Amino acid sequence: MYKIFLYDGTFEGFMCAAFHIISEGIDKDRAIIVSKNEYQPMFIDSVREVQNDFKTFLEMRKGIIEKADSSVFKKIYYAFLSDTKDKEGYILRYLFFVFEHGKKIKYLYSDDIVNAVEKMAKNVSREIGKYMGLMRFCETDKGFLYAKFEPKNDIIKPIAYFFKNRLNEFYWAIHDVKRNKVAIYDRKKVQFLTCDNLKLKVTHQDEMFQMLWKNYFKAVAIEERKNLKLQQQNMPKRYWKYLLEKN
Amino acid sequence: MDVLEKLEVLGAAAKYDVSCASSGSKREKHFGIGSTFSAGICHSWTDDGRCISLLKILFTNECIFDCAYCINRKSNDIKRATFTPQEVAELTINFYKRNYIEGLFLSSAIKNSPDWTMEMLYKTIWLLRYKYQFNGYIHVKAIPYASLDLIRKTGFLADRMSVNIELPSEKSLRLLCPNKTKESILKPMEFITKVAEEEKNFVSAGQSTQMIIGATDDSDYKIINLSQHLYKKFKLKRVYYSAYTPVNHDPRILKVESPPLLREHRLYQADWLIRVYNFSADELFNGKDENLDLEVDPKVMWALRNLDKFPIEINKASYEELIRVPGIGIKSARRIIKNRVFHSLDFEDLKKMGVVLKRAKYFITCNGKTFERFLIDLEPEKIKQKLTDKNSLQRPQQLSFFDREVFTSVITGEI
Ligand code: SF4
Repeated sequence: MYKIFLYDGTFEGFMCAAFHIISEGIDKDRAIIVSKNEYQPMFIDSVREVQNDFKTFLEMRKGIIEKADSSVFKKIYYAFLSDTKDKEGYILRYLFFVFEHGKKIKYLYSDDIVNAVEKMAKNVSREIGKYMGLMRFCETDKGFLYAKFEPKNDIIKPIAYFFKNRLNEFYWAIHDVKRNKVAIYDRKKVQFLTCDNLKLKVTHQDEMFQMLWKNYFKAVAIEERKNLKLQQQNMPKRYWKYLLEKN
Repeated sequence: MDVLEKLEVLGAAAKYDVSCASSGSKREKHFGIGSTFSAGICHSWTDDGRCISLLKILFTNECIFDCAYCINRKSNDIKRATFTPQEVAELTINFYKRNYIEGLFLSSAIKNSPDWTMEMLYKTIWLLRYKYQFNGYIHVKAIPYASLDLIRKTGFLADRMSVNIELPSEKSLRLLCPNKTKESILKPMEFITKVAEEEKNFVSAGQSTQMIIGATDDSDYKIINLSQHLYKKFKLKRVYYSAYTPVNHDPRILKVESPPLLREHRLYQADWLIRVYNFSADELFNGKDENLDLEVDPKVMWALRNLDKFPIEINKASYEELIRVPGIGIKSARRIIKNRVFHSLDFEDLKKMGVVLKRAKYFITCNGKTFERFLIDLEPEKIKQKLTDKNSLQRPQQLSFFDREVFTSVITGEI
């Protein structure tokens, strides 16, 4: 029989569930952590809903950083944002490893779990890196900048915090169209909301800059060096949908 | 002429300037718009596969000089345009806030006089920094013959400055750039190095330069030797190499059908070796007039010439020895050192650490064993044959050698 732990879908909630499993000495191969809205009840399971308690989360975070270091914690966070199926299972096992091996976990390349989590984190971090550059904002009639994207992984949070630092003097919104999530920044703080229908119009001036950019993009390519394959390797097609210069 | 047309002319005119780096700035930020990101960010990739990070434009393409290889030279009959500082500043800010770009790369032809041109560049970035409170990355050219005082003022506002060295020897410079002298280039370069050493917040992402490859008969040895000198003496952050694209027909220029991209690529590899892997130019070449081997990368070439230093034992070799093995990069060398403390390593472990066994296997042992039996006794010529990048040679000016592995190696320097 499996012990099912339901959490609220957030990273903090997940860490609280992991905390209970680890601190109560529950067998990791019998424990499953599932997001509340993805769980399909099976009557033979024992189900427990875990509260998202920020203090517990902080304790877990402190524990991980003390046992390993903050880069390992960041890795766990990034892996959690991955769209990999059963990411919770991988990360839970990884957490057991962290508490067992500490810093050494960074060098256990040959372990499958470690490898899987490394891969998930790397994939997420690469996507964040790409979108830092490939996000395109436009100026709307409502007076704020607006960008939409459809990332593979759930990365709106780290992306929004990156732009909070960069576009700190502007009002802006970033919209994950696939997940109906919006990050809104009011020159003070970022807020995360859900939303599916935004009616916005692009300003006339913005259209001018879009055209300037597209023209510039064309003008700087060197014909003698043309290499569309390389272009696509660096900027895979799935990023093109909202990329001005590619439409 | 409207801004749209100017941008087209002056963007196209700047495209041969290869340096795209937007990384490494440590300028302190206080308030205002934007940030620099120390790792650098690409915002798009052009149809030729190069990263667009900065809005790279010329302030003007009207030139009083007449350099043989340059599309903007005085004697060419082309469309000319000149921005105003205001126009450049507004483009930069508006592109930046839409996240099209990471910052500005402002270069220029020399209009009216070197001082007039430098003054315009200074005014432009002054506007950006003070009127628009722009904190993003700015790379600006220092113009040969411009007053050092102007260059100094500009350097305090820029993240990076560069003076193009253009050609690898004085002889070539005299031949192709009748208006420029060695001093007109080295003097501002030296000056920037000096001020950067003395003052805080002066070109905090350092100085770079650029050299044209293939328009003259200068050998690769001469080029890499010069780069080594520039890194040591002027503390340059990077030297960029630009395979010459034949834009002018001029009898003084070597005849090139298309840009020598493979040669450019090998030069970047050799550059990494002297900059990051502690090789010296003399070690990489046999003689003074030698060119790099196009068939294999320069590290393989060096190893084949020094087979008596191999094989090395992975579980004993020092870090310095490890990074000299073809197929072992800085990262995998570090991993090897960290991991062999726990247990002795075999070839499987090496693979997982990112060692490219295809190349490394001829030069290493793990616990005394070679990868395959009899592997190490091979003749240098035979090894070379096996390691020849065949794709690149069949279509030397084609795209194939820019395959992923090779291209990332340019960026990360893992060779
Ligand atoms: S000074 Fe610069 S822009 Fe003018 S011709 Fe020479 S290389 Fe070209």
